[in-house]
Amino acid sequence: MRYVHLYFTCIKRSMISRLEYKKDTIVALFSFFFSNLCSLAAIYFILQAIPALSGYSLPEVGFFYGFSMLPISLDHLFSDEFWLVAYRRVKDGDMDMHFLRPVPVMFQVFAETFQPEGFGELILGVALITVCALNLTVNVTFGAIVVLCVGAVFGAIIITSLKVAMSALAFIFKRSGPLLQVIYNFSSYAKYPLAIYPGLIRALLIFVLPFGLFISLPVDTLLYGKYNPWLLSLAIIGCAAVFFALATWIWTICERRYESTGS
Amino acid sequence: MLKKYKPFLRAGAIDTTAYRFNILIWAVITVCEVACMVFLWLAVYRSSEGGMDAEIHGFTYREMIAYVVLTTIFNFVTYNNDTLWNINADIKKGTVGNYLIKPISYRGKFAATSLGNLFTMTLMFGVPLYAAALVTLGVLGFLPDLSFPAFFAHLGLFLLSGLSASLLNDTIAYIFGVLCFYTSSGWGLNSLKVTLISFLSGTLLPIAFFPKGLRDVVSWMPFAGMSQNPVLILMMKYDLTESLRCVALSFAWIVVLELFAKLLFSHAVRKVTVHGG
Repeated sequence: MRYVHLYFTCIKRSMISRLEYKKDTIVALFSFFFSNLCSLAAIYFILQAIPALSGYSLPEVGFFYGFSMLPISLDHLFSDEFWLVAYRRVKDGDMDMHFLRPVPVMFQVFAETFQPEGFGELILGVALITVCALNLTVNVTFGAIVVLCVGAVFGAIIITSLKVAMSALAFIFKRSGPLLQVIYNFSSYAKYPLAIYPGLIRALLIFVLPFGLFISLPVDTLLYGKYNPWLLSLAIIGCAAVFFALATWIWTICERRYESTGS
Repeated sequence: MLKKYKPFLRAGAIDTTAYRFNILIWAVITVCEVACMVFLWLAVYRSSEGGMDAEIHGFTYREMIAYVVLTTIFNFVTYNNDTLWNINADIKKGTVGNYLIKPISYRGKFAATSLGNLFTMTLMFGVPLYAAALVTLGVLGFLPDLSFPAFFAHLGLFLLSGLSASLLNDTIAYIFGVLCFYTSSGWGLNSLKVTLISFLSGTLLPIAFFPKGLRDVVSWMPFAGMSQNPVLILMMKYDLTESLRCVALSFAWIVVLELFAKLLFSHAVRKVTVHGG
């Protein structure tokens, strides 16, 4: 309870400091919508030239793209500060203050930033899958809805865990941002149906960096009933639990090795 | 005796590997991105009505892959993002005031730096990367027939278009940088600029894929000269007349944008708020 109160106090302070650059935030929001519009336009133009992409029609490909935005945006809302830890804050000797406070360091990092931009992404994703779903004739089952929700929420936990684990390495190597970037960029592979990739990449995206597991497979379940929704949900939840446990463990170990760089 | 130097030794080693590590990581990220694009295009051609031998909007799948690889190298060599961030830093730190009283042009300083960058980047990375890519793609048969005497004319025009692309990049970055005078921060403006350039320059996909009306408008804008046109000149997809037209268009745009930047700066400089200094 104390932590909930503390979280909101910290977030409020972070929002106030954000308001310093009001005009820039508006430009950033606009450019965010514009950039997604451009990516969607690119996909639309490509699909105009062919009948379907590996058997997927335009609204189906749009659905993949829209759904991929949900876990990514949920993660974006809560854990943006880890990027700074990985890239800058450890290197700049900026983390010392967190080690002096009687609250877990990981909690403090979460409480440092709340990114309202994530809402834009979330709204755009939901709008896109709604528009695409209206242009599809699929048999929506209860199980498919459940597995999509599980994919979005627990997928976000998996992404956050990857971020926590990778940024924790900065405690040892001082800077782990580029490594985090490599891992994170694989999420863009999951914007398209897995069918377009060769078998090895598909396996990588399901078993190693499981972006395909919680984005592509649930969508395939909705569109074509390819997988059992309940087993798939279970697999995603299990995977999220393992990733989160591993991330916390890696964070604890790396945190103990922290040495201030001075400032 | 030597023990006290050990931390320095370690720091030095870490420092050196840090930069090497960065280049390595950059290479990994780029290879992953290019691979993703290649898989996407292969799937597109496989799914097209004519199968793998189809020509979509004037590109075979081999040419499309060559296009993706060459635009990636071209952007890496000519792209420059420092201008916007330097202006932003000058505004935030208040150092912009120092430049306003010095007898050099604020604009000229960035243009010169940018050309210096282009020179080093072309020699250090451009020459080996282009050579490796052209030889590999040529041997694999991914390039349209490069008939040799004509290729040298195209190579010359390509280098010229690389110069104009770099100047265009710098001018546009400068214009967006000056707009930071109005917003006091560069994040939003920077991401807007990055998106505009990657979509309208043909980096995301060739402009030939755009619907007709949009295609006509975009091909007269300055952006195509920053990525698509130079690469198509090098691949000899354009004949000499078309190539010359593209290069001339880019240089005309540089003049227009420079004039605009001058006007914008003289307005913006009256808005300047120096935060300390």
